[in-house]
Amino acid sequence: MRTAYTISAIGHAAVLLWSVWSLAAKPLPVSSNEGLPVDLVTASDFSNITAGSKAAPKTDTAKPLVEKVAEAKPVEDPTAKVVEKKEVQAAREPPPAPETKPAEAAPDKKQAETKKQEPKKAEAKPPIPPKKPAPPAPKFDPKQVAALLDKREATRLAAAGETLNNAPSLGVSNGAAAQLSLSELDALRARLAQLWTVPAGAKDPQELVVLIRIKLKRDGTLAAPPMVLTSGKTPLFIAARDSAVRALFRGQPYDMLKPEHYEQWKDVEITFDPRDMIRG
Amino acid sequence: MLGGAASAFASLSPQPAAAVLKLNVTEGNVQPVPIAIPDFVGVGLDPATGRNVSQIIASNLRRSGLFAPIDQAAYIEKIVTIDTLPRFPDWRQINAQALVTGRITQSDARLKAEFRLWDVFAGQQLRGEQYNTTADNWRRIAHIISDAIYERITGDKGYFDTRIVFVDESGPKERRIKRLALMDQDGANVRYLTRGDDLVLTPRFSSAADTITYMSYREGDPKVYLMNIETGQREIVSNFPGMTFSPRFSPDGQRVIFSLQRGGSSNLFVMDLRSKATMRLTDTQVIDTAPSYSPDGTRISFESDRGGKQQIYVMAATGGEAQRISFGEGAYSTPVWSPRGDYIAFTKQTEGKFAIGIMRADGSGERILTEGYHNEGPTWAPNGRVIMFFRDPGGNAGPMLYTVDVTGRNEQILKTPSYASDPAWSPLLQ
Repeated sequence: MRTAYTISAIGHAAVLLWSVWSLAAKPLPVSSNEGLPVDLVTASDFSNITAGSKAAPKTDTAKPLVEKVAEAKPVEDPTAKVVEKKEVQAAREPPPAPETKPAEAAPDKKQAETKKQEPKKAEAKPPIPPKKPAPPAPKFDPKQVAALLDKREATRLAAAGETLNNAPSLGVSNGAAAQLSLSELDALRARLAQLWTVPAGAKDPQELVVLIRIKLKRDGTLAAPPMVLTSGKTPLFIAARDSAVRALFRGQPYDMLKPEHYEQWKDVEITFDPRDMIRG
Repeated sequence: MLGGAASAFASLSPQPAAAVLKLNVTEGNVQPVPIAIPDFVGVGLDPATGRNVSQIIASNLRRSGLFAPIDQAAYIEKIVTIDTLPRFPDWRQINAQALVTGRITQSDARLKAEFRLWDVFAGQQLRGEQYNTTADNWRRIAHIISDAIYERITGDKGYFDTRIVFVDESGPKERRIKRLALMDQDGANVRYLTRGDDLVLTPRFSSAADTITYMSYREGDPKVYLMNIETGQREIVSNFPGMTFSPRFSPDGQRVIFSLQRGGSSNLFVMDLRSKATMRLTDTQVIDTAPSYSPDGTRISFESDRGGKQQIYVMAATGGEAQRISFGEGAYSTPVWSPRGDYIAFTKQTEGKFAIGIMRADGSGERILTEGYHNEGPTWAPNGRVIMFFRDPGGNAGPMLYTVDVTGRNEQILKTPSYASDPAWSPLLQ
């Protein structure tokens, strides 16, 4: 009996030992890989990705850089323009320069100015080189504001051309950055369905289809009374139209539409179509 | 709904040209429109009249099932004049979508009634009208205003300024006294047209609403009569040998169509009321009865057992080949063409149950509106949206009048002084 115990004990110990050795946990090496960035792309995002191809023929993208339709102006020598302006506005005020200069230059300049008023520059050049300090001075001169305004006008003229820029630029309403979600649309539709009273039992349901355009403010209220785009004269149509307009008034504010998507829902066209309901 | 979702989804895709978001709403509610009807302002008369008028309007609109008049206790603004704009925010707050303001002015025996219907949420007037009438006509004024409101909001003609002619039934079940009676569509102003000496059945209005045709046993055999409901004058339509029954006017009111029974068969005849010329429309050995004209007068629907069981048939108004349009289980009877022409109402009998239903003139779109132990005798409101019928619960009780919407909703009982059957709805009064 004792031998049996001993054998059993030794056997168990052996199995235990073997398992300690063979089943010992090996250190699991952790590879220090960087996290793989994963982006969830919704179907609508995906469909909004514009596919591009390097092999595609080059298209002329220079033209649509214009925001205002105007006669295309021949681009004149831009430098000439600038010079001309300086002549008119900035260069007329070089008195600061003489002021900073020593008195010795004064007599010469005065003489020159009295003799010829226009060719100031030409005259001023020969006497002394210290002409250089003059440009920085007008920069800080408050009277220079007029010159700055002139500059702005010049760029505006340059932006006018024969074709409008119809390519969306940053932040334009249909940019894919902030996308109106289906749930927002569904909530809007649900609210309208709840408020819109369908004239059930009407004989000519096709007369009940009403198309309405609404402009919304950022807070979800109507910016203007709803605009009815379908027209009709039958009492049935008029009743349906008014019923839809009433629903739009009553639905305010449309707070299910998120402000960050405002660009997309500021202008909505809604078709009220009860035909399916009435048929059933 | 799916279509709406699809188009809404489509609108999510970039649209460079238009930045307008498009949305389809294909479902709405069929909730009654909440409407506020404050008491009409009374000038030179008992203020109760102003209240009565507004209450009749409210009750009419409520019965239609399409409006929910708001309890006056909830009103914030008290209307004292109809010449200024109401305070719309006050009415919006109690959720009224429409508001009716009105004024009744009495001078001598003349009444002037004015009303305005306002769209509370749009803040504008939808309708404003005035009527002049005699002082005892204030009830009709209320009905006419109800019609104007109903029409402006639902787009369908109203049916409140109408009357019902029916068979008033009084006395114990074994010895019922049946009298022709006339009342306003809301059950008011009941007036009896016959004394109850003879059995009367199936009264029907002419398009002029001042004449009825009906069947009476006055001469022993059932005959078709005409009666002017204003003068009480009556006249027998057809003095043929045999029974004439189931009369109905043509839409122009110039002819009466009816059944004439001789021997075991009954056929359809039409009589020109001016020339008294009678024309036979069917010639069968079976029972053709319950004829009803289409609103344009070109076709006739009727019931016939030529196929074995009672079914509904349609044929040209001049007779000729008839086409069976009812094919469901059971027996179909009393077809009545809707005044707007889209449906034919009928009574359908299956396994001891009587139902009121509608189907299109080609037999499609059959729909049962109400069903029970005994429902019979459908008649259309002039706008084709409501059907009145009578229901007999059986036992010792008698028949009562009910209305139901053509959609099957809004079933309502119409209170009458005693039991009532065989209603017929008049056209809009002139």
